[in-house]
Amino acid sequence: MRMAAVYRQLLRAYPRAFRERFADGMQQAFRHRYTEAVRRGRLAAALFLLRTLADIAFNAAAARLNARERTPMNWRSLGSDARHAARMFLRNPVFTALAVAALALGIGANTAIFTIVNGVLLKPLPYLDPGGLVMVWSTNAIEHRDRDVVAPLDFLDYRKASAFADLQAAYSFIVGAALTTAAGSEQVVTTAVTPGMFEMLGRTPALGRTFTPADVQTAVIVSHRFWRSHLGGDADALGRVLTIADQPRTVIGVMPADFVFPYKSMLGPSGFSRSHDVDAWLPLAFVAGNSRATGVAMLTRSVRFLSVVGRLKPGATVTQANAEIAGIARQLATTYPESNRTVGASVVPLHEQAVGAMRPALVLLLAGVGFVLLMACVNLANLLLARSGVRQREMAVRSALGADRRRLIAQTLVETVLLALMGGGVAIGVVNASMGALLAMAPADMPRLGEVHADATVIGYTFLLSLVTGIAIGVVPAVAASRAELQTALKSGGRGSTAGRGQRRLRSALVIAEVALAVVLTLGAGLLLRSFLSVLAVDPGFQSDRLLTLQIAVPQKYQTPAHRLALYRDLFTRLESIPGVQSAGGTTRLPLGSTNVTTRIGVEGSDKPPAAWPEVEFRRAVHDYFETMGIPVLRGRSFTAADNAEAPPVVVVNQTMARQLFADADPVGKRIRMSPTSPWNTIVGVIGDVRHSGLEAPAAPEMYISYLQGPPTNPFIVIRTTGDPAALAATVRGELRAVDKEIAAYDIRPMTQVRADSVSQRRFVLLLVAAFGALALVMAAVGVYGVMALIVTERTCEIGIRLALGAQPGSVLRLVVGQGVTLAAIGIALGVAASFAVTPLLTTQLFGIRPLDPATMALVPALLMAIAALACYLPARRAMRIDPVDALRA
Amino acid sequence: MDPARFLPLTPVVFEIMLALAAGERHGYEIMQDVERRTDGRIVLHPGTLYRALSRLLDQGLIEEIDARPAADRDDERRRYYRVSALGRAVARAEVERLASQVSAARRAFRGDRA
Repeated sequence: MRMAAVYRQLLRAYPRAFRERFADGMQQAFRHRYTEAVRRGRLAAALFLLRTLADIAFNAAAARLNARERTPMNWRSLGSDARHAARMFLRNPVFTALAVAALALGIGANTAIFTIVNGVLLKPLPYLDPGGLVMVWSTNAIEHRDRDVVAPLDFLDYRKASAFADLQAAYSFIVGAALTTAAGSEQVVTTAVTPGMFEMLGRTPALGRTFTPADVQTAVIVSHRFWRSHLGGDADALGRVLTIADQPRTVIGVMPADFVFPYKSMLGPSGFSRSHDVDAWLPLAFVAGNSRATGVAMLTRSVRFLSVVGRLKPGATVTQANAEIAGIARQLATTYPESNRTVGASVVPLHEQAVGAMRPALVLLLAGVGFVLLMACVNLANLLLARSGVRQREMAVRSALGADRRRLIAQTLVETVLLALMGGGVAIGVVNASMGALLAMAPADMPRLGEVHADATVIGYTFLLSLVTGIAIGVVPAVAASRAELQTALKSGGRGSTAGRGQRRLRSALVIAEVALAVVLTLGAGLLLRSFLSVLAVDPGFQSDRLLTLQIAVPQKYQTPAHRLALYRDLFTRLESIPGVQSAGGTTRLPLGSTNVTTRIGVEGSDKPPAAWPEVEFRRAVHDYFETMGIPVLRGRSFTAADNAEAPPVVVVNQTMARQLFADADPVGKRIRMSPTSPWNTIVGVIGDVRHSGLEAPAAPEMYISYLQGPPTNPFIVIRTTGDPAALAATVRGELRAVDKEIAAYDIRPMTQVRADSVSQRRFVLLLVAAFGALALVMAAVGVYGVMALIVTERTCEIGIRLALGAQPGSVLRLVVGQGVTLAAIGIALGVAASFAVTPLLTTQLFGIRPLDPATMALVPALLMAIAALACYLPARRAMRIDPVDALRA
Repeated sequence: MDPARFLPLTPVVFEIMLALAAGERHGYEIMQDVERRTDGRIVLHPGTLYRALSRLLDQGLIEEIDARPAADRDDERRRYYRVSALGRAVARAEVERLASQVSAARRAFRGDRA
């Protein structure tokens, strides 16, 4: 086992005596533990290795201190070094404050990002033994969907797989439902789950009990948040009756505050797009017939709407489960070709499903913020190196008094480690105070945001990082200071500040490294910025300004289509009479704000069997939908009042569907249908493409039917206004209430907000990387300036002589700026070369540009060169003004 | 030696003493026992465990034994530890200290809802 060999090497951090006594036992324990962690999954193994590293770092240091404790001289010397360092800090408060601030910034930024990474990616999901939980999905190779929802009958067949200890839990979409109260209706977010789901997750309610099969349609379990906000946080809430979707249900349980299920990313291609924590869980039961009741699912193989969670048997792997379930899916495809010919199945670890999509963005942020810290380290190392020149005399005196080289190095390291620990301490405080603001910037659909907080792992990480940072910034200055030549340093008297050639070279190398790091970071930020602008420039296919959107839940008393049509007639008459409203309409799926439903369609005259029919997205257009949205009608016509239930069925298709199905032929007048037994629908018009699934996803084929030929129950409403759409929200709510106070309205947002929310993850990553990039530029500028200023100070005498001998100030300016710009140019060249290796890693985050985008690759180095030149100009101007007489006297 | 001068014991040390109370064990057995008994609330990593063992050995609260289990269950690289007489006295003193704390706490919080 390779890791065991690595661990054996790491044990060398312990004192020899300790190693000889305990290494065998420690290795044996490590091997057992590591094998267990690997069995639980890659993430558990990574977390275990991280903890092991911390365990070694802490205990080896402590064991070494213990070993030295027996020789009082060493223990005392460490204490005296710390006291000496503290005196130095007090003597140079400005330097100390700046160094601590710089370190707090670097370590704090790392801690903040790690806190998110820890909460979202590293912490186990809040279920019992979460490593054994998996999700089962349908796959559809023809439609290129690999994580699709499952049909109930397929789900029951998958349960026969032997790799699962438990495959009971299935849940339907997360849906909004109307909660009827005395004050009117409001929306609650619900999901229906099979009884046994809570047991499989290993979570018990904080109050009450979980579902039994007898609870179907009569019971509800509520979230802790809902219990506090709606039921007064009272234990007597159990037994209360809530009317959800017109159905009275008794509260039988309250889940604990930390219970989340499902995470939004555990939903299939259907369900809410925005993040919604579930307020209420309803029991789900299967019935043979067709039913519209909430919590009752018909047993079908052709309609897919379940998400499925299961627990693997101890010892069973995801690969085994995958193979077994795929085998069952193949059998089903043979037995039921009508419904299952193109349907496969796959198993995905639950953790991967819940947070896997966030991994690339978070790893990118962690890398970016790592670069920032690295730059802070280089900057501080440079500063300390400059100070080590100043402190050569002090070191020489200590050396003369008997301190050996190890002691001198230890003294500098104690100083830098103490500085870094102070920086880390400040960082923890600042991160704790600012975490709320950072999380407010995070996209609302980022999973597990509620679980992000600084815990023991974060504090341990910050401690380790501070320790490593302290050693990293101290090593170079410590070694340099310990090399102080006793004679030279003592002889040089007050001029102890002149650095030797080796030290100057070292400082230049550090500046080059810093500029190179800045190039890589700012290039990355530049690429992300260009991508973001490309995304924003995408035409979504509709006009998003001055548009108000909301969703309504129509009470179940409007059961018949005629009831609903009468309601909508009244509703739109009222909405359109509001001053400032131009037009209003609605649909069943809002672009960029909700997900899609698809249907297969057969084309008249085509001989394809139903299983091979193409799949298209399916929506209903309510009232003046296309006109209100600004979606152009390219051919034929839009729906009219004449397209009602008595008229022949008609559809409107989008450009992509027209092209895919009819190539260059005119689709208007052609007929399609959604099943072999349903009536033919005539295509009456072709509308422009709309990007429904996100600005970055190309438009899919889609068709609309008129609401007059099938009125929906919970449509999205869109309202085109003449002024600020948000200002009309309250009036719109009032009009809805005037129509029927039981209509629940939610998610009232201007379309511009819907559009902005759809790119919130990209904006979050961009904002942070841009902040890191800006920090990198400032640090590079400070680094170049600091070194050039030091060089000018050191060369004051030489420059004075040059000026005395007749050199023009302009030539001095060229000399100093030239030297700095040369360093920056080497750094930029190295940085650009490094970017060729690094930027392709950004591919998943880029849109509309290549990883080596020429414009960015040209602009960023030019910007850095300009900043470096400016940073050199200030010391150069000082050099020009040196008075030769003063310089020679000094 | 007065057992009181070793008190209070850290939670890790107390758990190790508890694990060894029933008889001799090797390091990994102690780790497993502690984890099982505390329902996973205390997970000892090798560094933490062996540094604590080292301190306990130095203080004479536990001792290493030469006796080996049957050959079929033995691994010659393993070292076995047991609680010394002093260790037992210290553990007993710690139990009494904890018990008196618990009864003081019970008296102080009597009447509060759990």
